[in-house]
Amino acid sequence: MSEQQLSQQESLQLITEMIQKAKKSIHETGTSSILWGSAIAVCGLVNFAERQWQFSIGFDVWLLAMIAIIPQVWISVRESRERKVRTHTQVVLNNVWIVYGLSIFALVFYFNIVPGVTERLLAESGSQVFARNTTTGIETPFRSFIASSGSLLLLLYAIPTLITGLTHRFKPMIIGAVLCYGFFIASLFTDTRLDMLFNGLAAICNWLIPGLILRSLYLKEKAGRNV
Amino acid sequence: MFKDLDPILHSQLRLAIMSLLIGVKEADFSYLKEKTGATAGNLSVQVQKLKEAGYIEVVKQFKDNYPQTLCKITDTGISRFEQYVADLKAYLGQ
Repeated sequence: MSEQQLSQQESLQLITEMIQKAKKSIHETGTSSILWGSAIAVCGLVNFAERQWQFSIGFDVWLLAMIAIIPQVWISVRESRERKVRTHTQVVLNNVWIVYGLSIFALVFYFNIVPGVTERLLAESGSQVFARNTTTGIETPFRSFIASSGSLLLLLYAIPTLITGLTHRFKPMIIGAVLCYGFFIASLFTDTRLDMLFNGLAAICNWLIPGLILRSLYLKEKAGRNV
Repeated sequence: MFKDLDPILHSQLRLAIMSLLIGVKEADFSYLKEKTGATAGNLSVQVQKLKEAGYIEVVKQFKDNYPQTLCKITDTGISRFEQYVADLKAYLGQ
């Protein structure tokens, strides 16, 4: 390409060609999606199994979700090093996922703090809530808890996933997010045990399957570029 | 015939650079080189001309101990590019 003068048609053709080239050069690797899809699926399904078959793996399996932050940082740094171009869409979507991450941590914080605070406030007002067993008639102090906390997580999972899917017009992610809303509605009518199952399934539909599809597309395009 | 078209943009390589930058937030020099197929020397000269005209911003920095040149279209660059496309369309009667 040189500094030669162009005709009007050639100019428009060049502009179109370059814009198309810029569009085609945007590749999502799918790595983060696979990581979080796997991590949350394992956490949800193991937690469901523990509750379903009454056993314990000896530690809170959701800690794995915390540990997954370490490879995520590594992936983000590596992808940032390899990236030659940043689009406005990438910047906005990255911000959406950062806000989502912060919101998840805030929600987990809320799950852990609010029950204790509720009990303290009740105690300060001189009240205590009791639960009465309708069969035996025995009353025991009622421990405060966040009802259907898994449903709130499902609701939150769907938001950035649907935004990403709609922005990229990526059907697997849109379908995953819609299914996630379905799991959210179902979880309103079920106990925590099934909520955990829905969490695991939502992670598979939302992130793992779309991530694997993205990865496959990315590897195909990369192989095509190297030919 | 073309006297009204922006002379800064009415050149093959500079127009290619601007067309690539119009849709992205920022791009590496190596990305522009890969997409335009230009030589580093020629690309560097045209990037400098666009920078001097105020159409793009050029940030030189180090990334993992290697020099990196990032190019980003400016607000002036966007409006001039849009005007250029409008002028082209007027010429073509679209």
